Amino acid sequence: MTARSYAGVALCCAVIEPYVRRSDHGAAWFLARTLRRLVEAGGVRKQDIDGLCVSSFTLLPDTAVAFTQHIGLSPRMLEWLPMGGACGVIALRRAARAVQAGDAEIVACIAGDTANETSFRELAANFSRFSREAVYPYGAGGPTASFALIADAYMRATGATRQDFGKLAVAQRANAARNPRALLRGALSLDDYLGARPIAEPLHLFDCVMPCAGADGFLVMPETRARALELPFVRILGAIERHNAFPDDPVALRGGWAMDREALWSQAGFGPRDVQVIETYDDYPFISMLHFEGLGFCPPGEAPDFVRRHEFTIEGDRPHNTGGGQLSCGQAGAAGGYLGLVEAMRQLLRQADGRQVAVARHALVGGFGMINYDRGLCSAAAVLGRA
Amino acid sequence: MIRLQRCAECGAAQYPPREACATCLSERLVWQSADQLPARVLARTRLHHTNEPRFRAVLPLTLGLVRFELGPVAVCLLAGTVVPGDAVQVRVSTDDLLEAT
Repeated sequence: MTARSYAGVALCCAVIEPYVRRSDHGAAWFLARTLRRLVEAGGVRKQDIDGLCVSSFTLLPDTAVAFTQHIGLSPRMLEWLPMGGACGVIALRRAARAVQAGDAEIVACIAGDTANETSFRELAANFSRFSREAVYPYGAGGPTASFALIADAYMRATGATRQDFGKLAVAQRANAARNPRALLRGALSLDDYLGARPIAEPLHLFDCVMPCAGADGFLVMPETRARALELPFVRILGAIERHNAFPDDPVALRGGWAMDREALWSQAGFGPRDVQVIETYDDYPFISMLHFEGLGFCPPGEAPDFVRRHEFTIEGDRPHNTGGGQLSCGQAGAAGGYLGLVEAMRQLLRQADGRQVAVARHALVGGFGMINYDRGLCSAAAVLGRA
Repeated sequence: MIRLQRCAECGAAQYPPREACATCLSERLVWQSADQLPARVLARTRLHHTNEPRFRAVLPLTLGLVRFELGPVAVCLLAGTVVPGDAVQVRVSTDDLLEAT
């Protein structure tokens, strides 16, 4: 069965609560600030927001439910989406369908987390039952140890090299130099990348994101309402999600996108060549390469060649993670799952200031998250277009 | 003691332990020792960083992903000479971790 289109739905008001390395505030502080930014950017009253999607790790033990009381909101549609790197695209899907069905008119989608000395360790130690039982006791390397095993298998299977990973990381840092919100803006050379200390081989320091605090958000509403509010907006041309894809793959050398890629591009009515901006969930550069393969930018196993043949900076032929991605902006917990989506909106709305891609009509946003045991379980993607 | 599970209805093996069979949803699961089971190494990492101070003294640590001949995949410690592709035997080490040799 073919999914209905997302026609008539507007995506507006990309906002970011600036990232900071550490914070004494709780997650609710970042989420409340983001909601306030959305209210101001949208020109609406707080009580006009009748739908809410929330993602956060450090909000726990509270969920979206407790958060409504925390901030005094009475939505008629509420989603708690603990889906890590896929939560932005999935929030967009839930919100868009709620708007189309009339279950809500203005949906605020927000994700954010705080960060302090112990938050990352606590999150890693209790990430899931499987990881607590069968991964964490093996040296407590956290997600990087698990992704290192996949990266090792990926390099053996495809011939990918550290130079390939480094090319992506270096291009993203060059993009970040033009994004005042990125926490890591200092120049990064390929030699810097290659010479960095190992964390879990083959992954080294600049393969890893820096945990931080912050939040991102956007509004979803009917196009008619966006027009009435005089808000510029972006359209959803296609969107997919898939969970626990390909469970029989011994090592997860692919995400779940391949199961739904054809539906995505068929819904969009064009293919990867007609996309000018690519935003992937870069918890590690090789995960961006899995996006390229899974979403049809190159055949399976050929991302190393794709990386060698293209340039990924703002002025390159394949602008990618144009704000610097998580590798340079920092990973503000669940907000990492929104970062690429919010950046894609800015590019399409021509709000990307000093890093605007010259021609940006269509953008691809990927999401990937939740390494429950030996692989990321949630894959998602959306194709967005200028209205 | 680290163990695999076998489904009494469909025979599937699984790890980490679950409350139901991931193949047929049966709850009739029986335990099978992971000790001495044959497996193959899929991937390897040398871990230099830990989130837990108690592990600092043992770093760097060599970890692997192995696939039991019975099917399931496990994270384990790797003996020094073992590399991906090798056929190994998995045993339960004295500190109750899986180790492939």
